[in-house]
Amino acid sequence: MEKYFDATYIWESIPTLIPYLKVTFIVAGLSVLFGSLLGLILAVMKLGKNKISQNIAHGYTTVLRCTPSIVLLFLIYYGVPAIAINFGINLNDMSAAFFVVITFTLQFGALMSEVIRSAYESIDKGQYEAAVSVGLSNTQAYWRIIFPQAFVVALPNFGNSLLELMKEGALAYTIGLIDVMGKANLIIAGNYNSHALEIYIGLSIIYWILSILIEQFFLKLEKIFSKGKKNLKTV
Amino acid sequence: MSNGLDFEFLIDTFFIALSGVPVAMIITVISLLIALPLGFLLALTRINKMPILSQFSRVYVSFVRGTPVIVQIFIIYNSVPLLLATIFEKYNIQMNVYDVNPIWYALIVFSLNTTATLIEVFRSAINTVSKGQLEAAYSVGLTTVQAFIRIIIPQTLVVGLPNICNATVNLIKATSLGYAMSLPEITLKAQVAANASYNYIEAYMDIFIIYLIICSLVEYGFKRMEKRLRKYKIAPAA
Repeated sequence: MEKYFDATYIWESIPTLIPYLKVTFIVAGLSVLFGSLLGLILAVMKLGKNKISQNIAHGYTTVLRCTPSIVLLFLIYYGVPAIAINFGINLNDMSAAFFVVITFTLQFGALMSEVIRSAYESIDKGQYEAAVSVGLSNTQAYWRIIFPQAFVVALPNFGNSLLELMKEGALAYTIGLIDVMGKANLIIAGNYNSHALEIYIGLSIIYWILSILIEQFFLKLEKIFSKGKKNLKTV
Repeated sequence: MSNGLDFEFLIDTFFIALSGVPVAMIITVISLLIALPLGFLLALTRINKMPILSQFSRVYVSFVRGTPVIVQIFIIYNSVPLLLATIFEKYNIQMNVYDVNPIWYALIVFSLNTTATLIEVFRSAINTVSKGQLEAAYSVGLTTVQAFIRIIIPQTLVVGLPNICNATVNLIKATSLGYAMSLPEITLKAQVAANASYNYIEAYMDIFIIYLIICSLVEYGFKRMEKRLRKYKIAPAA
């Protein structure tokens, strides 16, 4: 039998895998977009005065936090078409990406609702009062004083959630999405399941570099945006 | 596809899936038992900036946190048998590599993974305990080991407990990926049951409910523990 481990497969696999990052990015990007919106709505519900909507939002976050992505993914993949068919909509031919985006939107929304809520709560109430006292309107106070500060607080957590999303997104291959992970599995299947290890190592290198880049990007952003932040030094 | 849920199947599969809980729990507990001390020690190497170990744990944490768990699973699942095969060949051990129980692979993957998470948890928790605590412990005559066991570790645990809880919940959730190693835990058992009749929705609802119950219990347990450990917490200096 030939060699068990052949490092050349690692270097050969990386260029073939990289074009498929596009799919990963599109799916992650859409999930981040919709998920952030959902997170915002949930955060508003949590911060609001209404007890019922508060409980709904908190319950949603708890349930989603306790569900493994893979279970949620399959639940959506099989469940949504089954529900839709009762309304006369046939979703069975939808692309896998559609279900992946729904799943990760739901999950990212839960994560973001906590990020937004804690960022908002970290801003001292005095900031709002001070803004109103110098004559800003309610909207102006939020847009010019509260949101910019909350944004800086939320940034690192947003970055972490994004990384989390990207890593969990690797599971999308289980319902047939051809992203980097899906492509890696196709390559392995094409090799009759030999040299799987080398391909997975190549894949992990791609993910690793990508995470480091995202992490560094958010560190830079944080530095840029925290320029106006003074309270840490003065206290 | 039929309309409505098959309730009989739903209930039957619930118990089939439930029979996978012990395996998931064994993996969780053993991984934690390995990862807690290891994570604590490696966190110390990073804080004290020990030459080689500190760089090692930095790269290690960065890799584990930067790659999906499923990829880590596949790497271990594909590499360990190769290593074992070479070792067996060298020492003429008559044993088939493919007879190894997948639970061993799962233990390796999840201990390694949790260790990385816990290194970060402990690193930030140890940093919150002020240096004066260790100095005070020395000054009353405690040895380093005593100081750590009686003074530093209890305080670290109080601070780190919420994050350890998160790590535990994530670990339990991650065991659902054990199906990729054909590990007979909750997810795989329900999946197999569903394969026969294509009742996937019911099967995944069962899994969903089981994880929900387990994670809620774990979170409740940690909340209780947090309350009990709170007596070690130092009140902020007035």
